[in-house]
Amino acid sequence: MYLGFSLTPFGHHPAAWRGAAEIANLGFEALLAQVARAEQAGLDFVLLSDRLGARPVDDLSPVATPFEPTTLVAALATRARRIGFLAAAATHQHEPYNLARRFASLESISNGRTGWVAVTTGNGEDRDREYVDLVGALWDSWEDDAFIYDKEKGRFFQPDKMHVLNHKGEHFSVRGPLNVSRSPQGKPVLAQVLTDENRALAAHAAEIVFLQSSSPTGAEEAASDFIRSLEAADRRRDARILANLVPFIAATQTEAQALHDALQAVEDISKQPLSGAILIGTPIAIADSLQQWLEAGQIDGFAILPPTLGMADLFLAEVAPELQRRGLIGRTKAGSTLRDYLNLPRPAYPAATWERAS
Amino acid sequence: MSGDRKMRLGAFLMAGGHHIAAWRHPLAHAQAGVDIDHFVALARIAERGKFDMIFVEDAAAIRERNSDMASQAARSTAFEPLSLLAALAVNTSHIGLVATASTTYNEPYGLARSFASLDQLSGGRAGWNLVTSASELEAENFASSGLRPHSERYERAEEFADAALAIWDGVEDGAYLPPGGADFTDRAKLHPVHHRGKHFAVEGLLESPCSPQGRPIMVQAGASDVGKELAARTADVVFAASQTIDEAKAYYSDVKARLAKYGRQIDDIKIMPGISPIVGATEAEAKAKYRALQELIPDAVGVALLASYLSIQDLSSYPLDGPLPDMPETNLIQSRQQLIIDLGRRENLSIRELARHFAGARGHWQVAGTPAQIADAMEERFSAGAADGFNVMAPIFPSGLEDFVTLVVPELRRRGLFREAYEGRTLRQNLGVGVPAKR
Ligand SMILES: Cc1cc2nc3c(=O)[nH]c(=O)nc-3n(C[C@H](O)[C@H](O)[C@H](O)COP(=O)(O)O)c2cc1C
Repeated sequence: MYLGFSLTPFGHHPAAWRGAAEIANLGFEALLAQVARAEQAGLDFVLLSDRLGARPVDDLSPVATPFEPTTLVAALATRARRIGFLAAAATHQHEPYNLARRFASLESISNGRTGWVAVTTGNGEDRDREYVDLVGALWDSWEDDAFIYDKEKGRFFQPDKMHVLNHKGEHFSVRGPLNVSRSPQGKPVLAQVLTDENRALAAHAAEIVFLQSSSPTGAEEAASDFIRSLEAADRRRDARILANLVPFIAATQTEAQALHDALQAVEDISKQPLSGAILIGTPIAIADSLQQWLEAGQIDGFAILPPTLGMADLFLAEVAPELQRRGLIGRTKAGSTLRDYLNLPRPAYPAATWERAS
Repeated sequence: MSGDRKMRLGAFLMAGGHHIAAWRHPLAHAQAGVDIDHFVALARIAERGKFDMIFVEDAAAIRERNSDMASQAARSTAFEPLSLLAALAVNTSHIGLVATASTTYNEPYGLARSFASLDQLSGGRAGWNLVTSASELEAENFASSGLRPHSERYERAEEFADAALAIWDGVEDGAYLPPGGADFTDRAKLHPVHHRGKHFAVEGLLESPCSPQGRPIMVQAGASDVGKELAARTADVVFAASQTIDEAKAYYSDVKARLAKYGRQIDDIKIMPGISPIVGATEAEAKAKYRALQELIPDAVGVALLASYLSIQDLSSYPLDGPLPDMPETNLIQSRQQLIIDLGRRENLSIRELARHFAGARGHWQVAGTPAQIADAMEERFSAGAADGFNVMAPIFPSGLEDFVTLVVPELRRRGLFREAYEGRTLRQNLGVGVPAKR
């Protein structure tokens, strides 16, 4: 079972901040402390979501961190070195070259522990597909062994292992190459939050999809649908399908239910942008549900969206160790990249069909 | 000279070193460009020396079109500056963090937001070196239409700067409320941006609280007339490249003279020209260090670097031992082109000599000598109205920076020219530039 942990200053529930004591929760050190606990608990990655545009005036929700996700990942990655990071970034907010470069840089900083959650808008499917393919091609600007650092001969890299794209598409025109070497894990991992609009693109390119279904049965259907889309796109079952999960956890079932009801009475969670299936119960009950769900169906794991920080702590301190005991989580092979953590293949360098650099 | 005026110092970081051949030197770490631990170590050395800031340059492209030439220099793989400085921010505590970013290939909201993020991560130590990006290779990574004219790039830069400042100023100090109350933010202290201009439309608010330093520091390094005007209007710090003290003084007084027009004081801008110090126990040792680096430059690489700053494609077709040919004014970095032409004429240098000289620090001032000699040279310019401080460009990292911090900085301190301890925790406090009035 693969597990991601979605990072927020107060918890995912829009009412969570009301019960949170500290404005310092917004700060880097507090967020790092959460990441360190997730790392300690053996989770595979931290997820940083993002909103699509500038913050609208009428939405002052305290769910988002004060940091732009990719810069936050850069900072976190130097201080937590055994967990991966997925950061959301929208295709409408960045030039492809800048985005490819930012993530390539994160890969250097983290030694290959990052991924991009591609936020697409759905109303420009061709543009999004060209964008995503272009970013992938920029990440392949350099062959793995291009840089040789030969001081004696004065050769920093092998010129025939650098590839100029000269991409001239309908929407973008990019010469390349990227000015960052190929990632230690080949490429950053590409993820998408699955929607009706981006299904085809995700089936084409995503290596992780997050399902937002509000119930386990809904998630199962979404997973089966997506697997069919993968087949239609001529792909093997080579993507990780993770269900978003909002676990309301307490020492007793009654207490968990009461906490859930109290939060929902303040603000209804269904308005949340990144939603998932709600589970309510004790740590053991939550672990049972995750196990049953994993064993029964098509899901490879979960993205945990803790409603409050207290519940985040309970998940990490009690649910995760229970999953460990049952042998459901825990890394099975050596390796230090996000791909290693997720047992995703390292993408081979594409057969160099591009024109050689001039 | 007023007794308590202190020099500002920036550590201009660059992978293996500023010297074009530094990476080949036995002391250099050839893979430095993408080694985060190397950069953390450099930032800590600079912080130990109480530098005001570290500075990283940028280009959204490789630097050289000809791949054979590019492959003989170390500049084709590097960190992207904002992510690099974000990583350094949480591994340092006092030093300022200045990243170069282009107004030509970014959008105001996204860029202002990334700098706000860096500013929050560092507790108020972020700065933005605003550039307009003068290379064709960059232009080709963003559009098929080629490099936009100098005037158009600056027109966009002017609007960009205004939009970015408005975005930063949109959240007042105290806008985020302590928990426990009915609201998360005080809406009276939030001023969403409604910018509609020729180049951008920006609506909305930053996700972060007010900058711990009031607003990130603005840095400018353009040397054309419009560049200096933009600096006079918006910058807190100006970087410059100058060879002689007279050039430096002329530039200094030119920029300072423009301030009054914008209701600003002489001290509101710190002018920090680049200096590449080659430190030796004796002058002979310093000169020998410099020679050792010079010997590592392949001629073709030096000439290609020179040509790229002159924006000439085929300098190699001229006799290397002859003078520079006459050339048309460039759309690229006009000031650096002029600097090269002047240098060549003044010192009567051939293309080969000029290229070798230029390869040391890309046109910046190079001084090889003992710590006292280097301090003398810096003091002379500092006292003569040619500089408020310097952007220190070690020829080779980490040793060149280490040498400067352990040998030259104490010498500057003995003379009362440089701080013993940081004055504050934010870059603005340490630079001693006030918080600008919010718009
Ligand atoms: C110390 C220094 C550093 C600079 N760094 C960069 C840089 O990293 N990227 C860039 O595009 N331009 C850089 N420049 C160039 C300028 O910022 C400016 O964009 C260029 O000089 C063109 O404007 P101008 O014609 O006004 O000089 C630098 C200049 C100086 C003096």
